[in-house]
Amino acid sequence: MTRRYKTWQNRLFDGIIYLVMVLVLLICLVPFIYMLAISFSSTSAIVNNEVFLWPVGFTAESYKQIFEYPKFFHAYGNTFFYTIVGTAISLVMTILFAYPLSKPELFGQKFLMKMVIFSMYFSGGLIPNYLLVSSLHITGTRLAMLLPFAINQFNLIIMINFFRSLPKELEEAALIDGLGYFGILRRIVVPLSTAAIATVGLYYAVFFWNDWFNSLIYLNTDQFPVMLFLRNIVNGTTMVGDGAGSADKTTIALSIKSAVIIVSTVPIIVLYPFLQKYFVKGMTVGAVKG
Amino acid sequence: MTKTKTAKNNPPQTGLRKVGLRRYMKKYWPLYAMMVLPVIYFIVFKYLPMFGNILAFRRYRPGMSPWGEEWAGLRYFKLFMRDPMFWSAFKNTLVLSLLNLLVNFFLPILFAILLNEVRAKRFKKFVQTISYMPRFISTVVVITILGELLSPSSGLVNLFLKNAFGIEPIYFMNEPGWFRIIYILTDSWQFTGWTAIIYLAAITGISSDLFEAAEIDGAGRLQQIMYVTIPSIMPTIMVMLIMNVGRMLTLGFEKVLLMYTPNNASVSDILDTLVYRTGLANQNYSYATAIGLFTGVIGVILVTGANALSRKVTGESVY
Repeated sequence: MTRRYKTWQNRLFDGIIYLVMVLVLLICLVPFIYMLAISFSSTSAIVNNEVFLWPVGFTAESYKQIFEYPKFFHAYGNTFFYTIVGTAISLVMTILFAYPLSKPELFGQKFLMKMVIFSMYFSGGLIPNYLLVSSLHITGTRLAMLLPFAINQFNLIIMINFFRSLPKELEEAALIDGLGYFGILRRIVVPLSTAAIATVGLYYAVFFWNDWFNSLIYLNTDQFPVMLFLRNIVNGTTMVGDGAGSADKTTIALSIKSAVIIVSTVPIIVLYPFLQKYFVKGMTVGAVKG
Repeated sequence: MTKTKTAKNNPPQTGLRKVGLRRYMKKYWPLYAMMVLPVIYFIVFKYLPMFGNILAFRRYRPGMSPWGEEWAGLRYFKLFMRDPMFWSAFKNTLVLSLLNLLVNFFLPILFAILLNEVRAKRFKKFVQTISYMPRFISTVVVITILGELLSPSSGLVNLFLKNAFGIEPIYFMNEPGWFRIIYILTDSWQFTGWTAIIYLAAITGISSDLFEAAEIDGAGRLQQIMYVTIPSIMPTIMVMLIMNVGRMLTLGFEKVLLMYTPNNASVSDILDTLVYRTGLANQNYSYATAIGLFTGVIGVILVTGANALSRKVTGESVY
């Protein structure tokens, strides 16, 4: 294997590959680092366009401002609520459906699988969904953010395929020992499925954390999550801090915006590297063949 | 779907017809009990809206039944077929999704192949982890950051263009000419690393014997990529292509909505935003449902068509 490194073609090839990869790293990271730098920079440095990838005139003023602003704090809390409760509900519902569906011998399983698959390719559009949620009288309640998205079919199929890949022997032994299916699910299947549960849980959490559109059409202002809050700052619908009365509105808004972006992005970004080893496995088990 | 033969090979004492309803349910009732809530969920939140599409053929009165009040036949279909706004949105959807497919279908394959050639394991893993990151960032954040970077007064990109080349500030987010490019490039930024996972997994599955044999035959690394790596992951590529073609019309509606300005409307108004504007903003529910149903049916035709074609040509299909 070492032989291949000796030729100049291989050195050139390696050089190009590394160059491309460093470029990829920069492209992925620079926008985020730029925002981080802006959020910690002083207003005058931002106005004079002095900031690039490192804060100039270091200050945490914008973070202080957003956390002193009650509406931001409230929206941030809402996001945590939707993410934690929504993910919990979704995981329970997904596991409860995926386990029976992972048993092809179960009467009716094939029909239900067809029902699930069909609903992936043809669905009620935006308007029928909206009218349904309205007619259930959950618009303007937090349930409108939790219930309609309880099960995602793609996540369900990842879970089903994972359950199918578990060894059957354990379950058969437990059945003989008199453990029922609920017991098997709780004590054997779930503990063996941390990879799939972590993957699917991460997908659900990211969905709830990042949502803004459904909140916009279903919820009231005081129930808005932080992403919708951010969009409203950008739109000019919401004003934060003393930006409203300041001489240079746009610049103050810029450092505030950056701080909101950082604060609302960091929790998910610190979460995913820990789950990486799970989702790579979960994704390849679940996704390649639906 | 995967064909399961286990049902036939299993001990015969488990099937419903073999043991009778009473004994069958005695063993299996917990499995059915588990499904009660999820099945209700599917009926209410997936199937009722599906049947709610019937609104496309019925007249809706505000505050009344979501199923509409009286039959209207094909009235709403005829209406939107005559609406130039619909055809403009239709064209915009097709152009944007085709261009997007052209760029963002191949980019993850290329990235996976190149990343696989990185010999330093730690560095490879690091690049991969970082390349996933954009996938986890909200569209709102992406578009906000982009708005800052591309801002004509203070954005890095315009400052750079001005200082380096003396180019006057470009209103990237507002000019129709830039909309498609920005849409496609942000998609590349967000999903290339993520989608590459599937291809990387496929590449990892290739037997190293093949590469060694190719090397003994004198193949360089570029030739190994051409004649070993790519042919080996072809089945995966085909399955992904089917899925992508099938999903073609479902563009990132939320992103388009965030990027939409009255100025770039001539290219940024796609079918989904048209449904949103006519339906939710202007409350023409039946009209918007008709457009949504039309899009949905085309989507189904695309998936089944791509699937049938792929089965015929390559023997690979999703189901």
